[in-house]
Amino acid sequence: MAGLLGRLHRIRHANAWLFTTMLVSSCLSLLASFVLSVEAVTLAADPNANLSCNINSVISCGTVGSAWQSHLFGFPNAFLGLIAEPVVITLAVASLAGVRFPRGFMFAAQVVYTVGLVFAYWLLYQSMFHIGALCPWCLLVTVSTTLVFSTLTHVNIRDRNLFLPPRVQAALSTMIRANLDLMVVVIWMLVLVLAIVVKYGDRLFG
Amino acid sequence: MSKQARIRAHEVRLAQERAEQRRRNRIRVAVGAGGVVIAGLLVAIIAVVFTSASKDAGPSGKLVTPANLTASGAIPVGSATAPVTLEIYLDFMCPACGRFEQANAGELDRLIQAGTVKLELRPMTFLDKTSQGTRYSTRAANALATVADRAPGSVWALSKALYANQPQEGTPGLSDQRIVALAVEAGVTQEVADAFDAGIFKAWAAKSNDDAFKAGIEGTPTVKINGKVFAGNLYTAGPLTEAIEQAAGGAK
Repeated sequence: MAGLLGRLHRIRHANAWLFTTMLVSSCLSLLASFVLSVEAVTLAADPNANLSCNINSVISCGTVGSAWQSHLFGFPNAFLGLIAEPVVITLAVASLAGVRFPRGFMFAAQVVYTVGLVFAYWLLYQSMFHIGALCPWCLLVTVSTTLVFSTLTHVNIRDRNLFLPPRVQAALSTMIRANLDLMVVVIWMLVLVLAIVVKYGDRLFG
Repeated sequence: MSKQARIRAHEVRLAQERAEQRRRNRIRVAVGAGGVVIAGLLVAIIAVVFTSASKDAGPSGKLVTPANLTASGAIPVGSATAPVTLEIYLDFMCPACGRFEQANAGELDRLIQAGTVKLELRPMTFLDKTSQGTRYSTRAANALATVADRAPGSVWALSKALYANQPQEGTPGLSDQRIVALAVEAGVTQEVADAFDAGIFKAWAAKSNDDAFKAGIEGTPTVKINGKVFAGNLYTAGPLTEAIEQAAGGAK
């Protein structure tokens, strides 16, 4: 039992596991961004597409797609995913192949991805409380962005890439070694699930 | 090593062990607290899933079909002898239906008056999911069906009033009282409007929606002229009128 736990522990902190998780999550995120981008382009190209309430539409009735929050910068948000996720995929693949990126590079990746994460959650908040529509692909983006963020942070804390004060770094390293970060991610995901079933439960199971 | 040095070394070791012990304890507390939080969240999720699954979310009760429907189960508006039949698949929450109505209601009024066209309204409810759980589409369709059943002359007026006051998608929609008030303004008697609350025709609204799906309707508004889908522009006045008049001319 202890041996098995020890093995799992080693696997969880190994590059292979971390970067594979990152790779899979970023691929999912890219897929979702792609679907949402195609949807956005279709909406824009066909004036009738967003003029009728289509039952099979990926985005419910164009509600999410045509809200101002969905093109905050003047173009569909999903384009940002198309731009950013391939970078993460490259990073994950290169790391799996044994490349070690310089501290500054990983730090920059962390900063940019954190901004992306905040943006993803802002969008989730907007769609839950202001747009009111459930968009499965957007949800996939939220979940996979969270997973990429957690693995990236894990790696960067483990490898001391974040230029943190020594005490903070030591505390975080201890947390990671004690697998508390895993607990944080699990709690985070469960909170997400809870928010969704509370908000949309009657539609999902009604 | 002097005795003093040994004592100091021992003390240092003890202090280190204590620090290590404290650290372990803190981690243990954190793990325990995290476990409690996780268990709590799981329980909460399961509880929510169960309550929302057991909640009678769908339109309930047995199917009561309104009187005065057409043979194919639509709500008729206008003279039964009009040469052109215009079927409209609509959802009262659908913003596109609102735009359709805005563009064409005036012309349709005229054509109904002239006896050129009769409408067959087929309310749908698939946008129930966009009214924050209040099922506005179903409530509105139920109101329309109630009026069709008991005050068929006011169906079109109520439909227009609902669209003139159409709520935004993603909002809870109009309240039940507001729907009643609009119906009364549109000429429905208070007695009939008060029957909306009973939700007599909610099951029928769900059936109307399912039948439309089965008939291959993919979105709202879908408009059929004498059974054929009208593919022209629905959102400006003119094209639909033209098509109706053409169909009327052909029928004569």
